[in-house]
Amino acid sequence: MSKLSFRGGIHPLKEKHEGKEATKSKPIRPYVPEEVCIPVDMHLGAPSIPCVKKGDLVKLGQVVAEPAGPRGIPVHASVSGEVTAVISKQQLYGKPSTCILIRNDKQDTWVDCHILGDVETAPADKIIGAIRDAGICGMGGACFPTHAKMVLPEGKTVDTILLNGSECETFITADHRLMLEEPQRVVNGLRAAMRAMGVQKGVIAIEENKMDAYEAIKKAAAGREGISTALLKTKYPQGGEKQLIKAVTGREVPSGGLPMDAHVVVLNVATAAAITDAVTEGKPSIARITTVTGIVNEPSNLLVRIGTSVSELITACGGTSEEPGKLFFGGSMTGLALPDDSVSVTKANNCLVVVNKKDAALQETTECIRCSRCIAACPIMLNPQRLNILCEAGNLGQAKKENVMDCILCHSCHYVCPARINFPFKEAKEKIAARRI
Amino acid sequence: MNLRMSAGPHFVARESTQTLMLDVLIALIPTTAAGVYLFGLRAAWVLAVSVISAVLAEFVWQKLARKPVRVNDLSAAVTGLILGLNMPAEVPLWLPAIGSIIAILLVKQLFGGIGQNFMNPAMLARGIMLVSWPAQMTVYTLPMRVLGSTSVVPSPDAVSAATALIRPSAYNPYDLLVGNIPGTVGEVCKLAIIIGFLYMLFVGTISWHIPVTFVGSVALLSWILGSDPWMAILSGGVLFGAVFMATDYVTNPLLKVGHIIFGIGCGIIVVVIRKFGGYPEGVTFAILLMNTVTPLIDRWTKRRVYGTVKKHG
Repeated sequence: MSKLSFRGGIHPLKEKHEGKEATKSKPIRPYVPEEVCIPVDMHLGAPSIPCVKKGDLVKLGQVVAEPAGPRGIPVHASVSGEVTAVISKQQLYGKPSTCILIRNDKQDTWVDCHILGDVETAPADKIIGAIRDAGICGMGGACFPTHAKMVLPEGKTVDTILLNGSECETFITADHRLMLEEPQRVVNGLRAAMRAMGVQKGVIAIEENKMDAYEAIKKAAAGREGISTALLKTKYPQGGEKQLIKAVTGREVPSGGLPMDAHVVVLNVATAAAITDAVTEGKPSIARITTVTGIVNEPSNLLVRIGTSVSELITACGGTSEEPGKLFFGGSMTGLALPDDSVSVTKANNCLVVVNKKDAALQETTECIRCSRCIAACPIMLNPQRLNILCEAGNLGQAKKENVMDCILCHSCHYVCPARINFPFKEAKEKIAARRI
Repeated sequence: MNLRMSAGPHFVARESTQTLMLDVLIALIPTTAAGVYLFGLRAAWVLAVSVISAVLAEFVWQKLARKPVRVNDLSAAVTGLILGLNMPAEVPLWLPAIGSIIAILLVKQLFGGIGQNFMNPAMLARGIMLVSWPAQMTVYTLPMRVLGSTSVVPSPDAVSAATALIRPSAYNPYDLLVGNIPGTVGEVCKLAIIIGFLYMLFVGTISWHIPVTFVGSVALLSWILGSDPWMAILSGGVLFGAVFMATDYVTNPLLKVGHIIFGIGCGIIVVVIRKFGGYPEGVTFAILLMNTVTPLIDRWTKRRVYGTVKKHG
């Protein structure tokens, strides 16, 4: 079987099996928290507007914050119980978020759910609306509102929906377990999305380090209209949209463009599963699978209610074996470090890694020795060595000419750098965008 | 809870500048051992002096210049060892000391330290010594001992001889391969160099592009010009230079295609110097010349960035 791939890229933590060994065979286990703290700004775009107040009794799946603007999505109660506060609380970074605190009455009393029907027979023109009402946003980490991705601007056409099951980031096994345990939910979600957008072709792409998941999906997809599977080489950042589109379709997203400019929409497999729930059961996005790993005593794949605190997650996994030095959401390549363990799990958080003091220690940056490992690693064919010099010298105009804006911030260059250079491309891109250089 | 906040990547590859340099040192073990065996204790002294003076020179400079002392990145040790291996065993011991100081201070630190030098420090130091002390630098001795059974008579009393390049036909292929020939400490035992090359390929220190295109173009061009290609490769310093000196990260191009241009360029210059120049050997100046062309090669060779149309010119 031919394995698809792209040029450049790396194989991070290869000697440690990408850090996935501890959880890849751990079945998904639900965890119900005592209390949730749900931020209203989980998704990309304008924060939703709270519509409950302290003392309100809410049901599971009830809307607690209304969407703001056409791209906005509602936020739902992830437990049933009493709203104990609407507060402003620091989450990952940036300004504090408005959060809704709900004490769980452990009854899981559902609101009335509006079921559209089977994914093959539900009215196609109602599906995108159902996705929006279910508060679904990209669950691979970006949290871009899914319905907004599916409504194309005038003149744009899409012929393929790609389901991203590559899970190329280290440590994460949430999508792996989902595809293995509930392949039908994934495939059904893809069918619903295809019907909603009127797209004939759907491809589910999975890396070869998850052969069991690949086989499960392949079996579930057999005989389904327009759906095929693609086996990908295990390489980072295979799950990056640009790399995935190149590997599966051979097309490139034009510089500065979006996947739809290559006539493709990319959805995460967990997003597809959420779409199935929204269409067939009318259930909103109130939980997600999160891998909890690192120095926790029982590394697990937890089905977590949105808004559960990180400290509860760590407790649910038996606590830590030593004092943590760093916590981060996501994989080790692009994951976001946490300021403390009171932060809430959002729809984007597919993984929590707890790192000990030793591994969290700062690595000293030394001088570039021109080894060109960064150049070999860059999946966009940039020259990080030269761009680093340009950015450090403040020559952002030249850096822009040499395509720094095409950098996808995958950190492959930093990973392979023997001098531990912290390539400053995120800051450079932000400055160029802000100053319109 | 005291947590460290930082952007990704939260784990990095194991390779650091130090481990890369350590791998080069490991790759040089066979060559060093063969050199010391063939040329005796005298060769060990030359290597010891060159390594110690290179490391000391770097240490003293970094102290005086109030820079962070980074001799433990092992780059000075690599420079010193390679320079020592580039000398005949019978050189007076002040020569490797001077050579290492030139390499570290003049070529490396004065241009800004590691990563900033535009020529390979050991190579330019050897070039400077070749033209400053030609007598001492080019008097080669026959090995004191020989490897395996051969007709070559070892010379415990340090009898000088011309480099095997002058009259390669005097030695059979076996002697050329294991190093029973006059030459510098490191260049004679081709087998040891090949073992070092394979090690560096295996652990990923270097890629094949420069050594293979360098050696290949020397062989091909020598053959076209009527010389024995095997003798061209095995009798002089081509193999040592191609594996351990042309592959210096700092002074060769960044892209693979640049590596190929660099390797072929080195090969052509070696053959031109050998065939038409005044020196019997051309590896030193070939690599130095290509070092100076490296920024140009980097400028000419561009990759097409994902999602863009290839720019011309």
